[in-house]
Amino acid sequence: MFVLLSQLARIRRERGLQRSAPRSVAIRHVDAGSCNGCEHELGAASNPFHDIARHGLEVVASPRHADILLVTGPVTSRMLEPLLMAHAAMPEPRMVAALGDCALGCNLLGDRGEFVGSVDQVLHVDIRIPGCPPAPDVIARQILMALGDTRGA
Amino acid sequence: MTELVRIDAAQLRQATELILAEGASFAGAWASEQAGIPMWRVLMSTSRGTRALTCAATEPIPSITDLVPAADWDEREAQDLCGVSFQRETPVRTLATHSPRAQDWMTAVSGSGVHQVAVGPVHAGVIESGHFRLHVVGERILAMDPRLFYKHRGLERAARGEQSDAAIAYAQRACAACAVTNSVAYAQAVEQATGTGPDRRLRVARTVLLELERLYNHLNDCGALCAGVGFAPGTMAFAALKDRAQQLNMRGFGHRFLFGTVRVGDGGAHLAADESDALRSELRELQVDTAAAWRELSFAGSVQARLEGVGVLDADAARCMGAVGPAARAAGIREDARSSSSGLAYDGFTPASIPSPRGDVSSRLQIRGVELEQSFELLRALLDGEMPAGSASIAGERSPIGVGRVESPRGATVCAVELDGDRVGRMHLRSGSYANWPALAEACAGNLLPDFPLINKSFELCYACVDR
Repeated sequence: MFVLLSQLARIRRERGLQRSAPRSVAIRHVDAGSCNGCEHELGAASNPFHDIARHGLEVVASPRHADILLVTGPVTSRMLEPLLMAHAAMPEPRMVAALGDCALGCNLLGDRGEFVGSVDQVLHVDIRIPGCPPAPDVIARQILMALGDTRGA
Repeated sequence: MTELVRIDAAQLRQATELILAEGASFAGAWASEQAGIPMWRVLMSTSRGTRALTCAATEPIPSITDLVPAADWDEREAQDLCGVSFQRETPVRTLATHSPRAQDWMTAVSGSGVHQVAVGPVHAGVIESGHFRLHVVGERILAMDPRLFYKHRGLERAARGEQSDAAIAYAQRACAACAVTNSVAYAQAVEQATGTGPDRRLRVARTVLLELERLYNHLNDCGALCAGVGFAPGTMAFAALKDRAQQLNMRGFGHRFLFGTVRVGDGGAHLAADESDALRSELRELQVDTAAAWRELSFAGSVQARLEGVGVLDADAARCMGAVGPAARAAGIREDARSSSSGLAYDGFTPASIPSPRGDVSSRLQIRGVELEQSFELLRALLDGEMPAGSASIAGERSPIGVGRVESPRGATVCAVELDGDRVGRMHLRSGSYANWPALAEACAGNLLPDFPLINKSFELCYACVDR
């Protein structure tokens, strides 16, 4: 397989094909300890009212297929390892988005001993989407803006 | 009024048997503290109100799980999170503590050809985090062990010492999809402990909010079931109906999940007459469109055929496991906390029923259809002109403990609050989901592995308000 992959890479290099501007982005979601509000709204972003797929945004089943890791909730001590494993499984280049106030470390409720903290205390965060929870259209708009896409949501 | 009955730990089993013989039902159990001494409380719901059997937890406590199988998770949680120990014939398996040793938390399964399938905590869809360990032979599920508490945030511990009115935030934030239920149950518990009671206006306002919460949740669950069988048109239609219900929440109360609308001692939401009328007529439109979508779903033969006979939880099993809500009613148990909610406006309420309750996935979908219609009708009757916020006033004496019991979209949710002056001494939230998780595990046994997502979605339980 590696021979085949290196042959393909050589052909691409020799042809010098330019990558086009990104038009599709694959998102993998990890709930690191949320109240389920962000999950409902991320799900709603795919409903007929919002339909994030029209912007080329797609929620994929595996971190191995993802460009963006979308993390919700404060990071609980029990979710730290699964979160880091999902991140490590992603191909590079990869981005991390913190979805919702908890993920951003705002107004956290609970026993401090059960948290590791906000997402940026664990991973480098590229995209910040505030709200409790952020509305479905806000989720799409913030991701597109962060990618420098001005088509709007 | 919740009566605290102090007994010796050695008498707990006998006292439990006695109260069960009187027709009481188990409503939850939690570890607490009184004058520095660890205590164990077992809450029983009787026809005359709730009674909390309470004993010191300094020594191992005799387990009651052979008398009340529904208390299994409560005891396991208290062992893991509060260090209470129990005397059982077999070792008490861990629940909230994630032991790396399989025998500490899994069902012991052996035999030729048995293997395990591990799912989660990170799932393929946009779903909360939790792990399932399925023991299978070929395609057949022998047993399923849910391992939750990945999202444990220590909310109950953090609420300790907070002002009792401000600490409602801990109940609300436990779970977005049950935010109103959990907050109302908490408010009722504090109000009972402080000897206050809601006036008619507050009862109506809280009931409206609870039914709006049920509406978007039930619409969500119908869509989730469609997704479970790969019926995309149904998934999308119900996702759109759910969104419309949440848009109404936003327009009427400023939040799609109705956050901040419930307060202790008074109302946090009101509607002017024109707002109430607008909400009523928009709900009427939503009701018509929901009925149309429901008809389509009923006649989608390929969908319906996939649901029948799958994931059966019969009435005996449901009763034994302590199942509540639509899961219990789909098995023919006509119980609903709304029929005994004196602090709310459910006068003359009759629990929903379906013609032939079989306790399968199909029945759990059917019961939601009936309950959607019921919620629309309740809201139509309650939204009659201006909806004032209402308030609560002194109605009786203070008591050391208060209990609120509210029907969430997933079943009876119980919140117990022990006050220490005007601060929270102990808060315990036992949601409808918490009561139903062991029943879900039971319903999976004997089914095909590929049907697990479908069975799971037919219960559509929360993880967040279990993990807390």
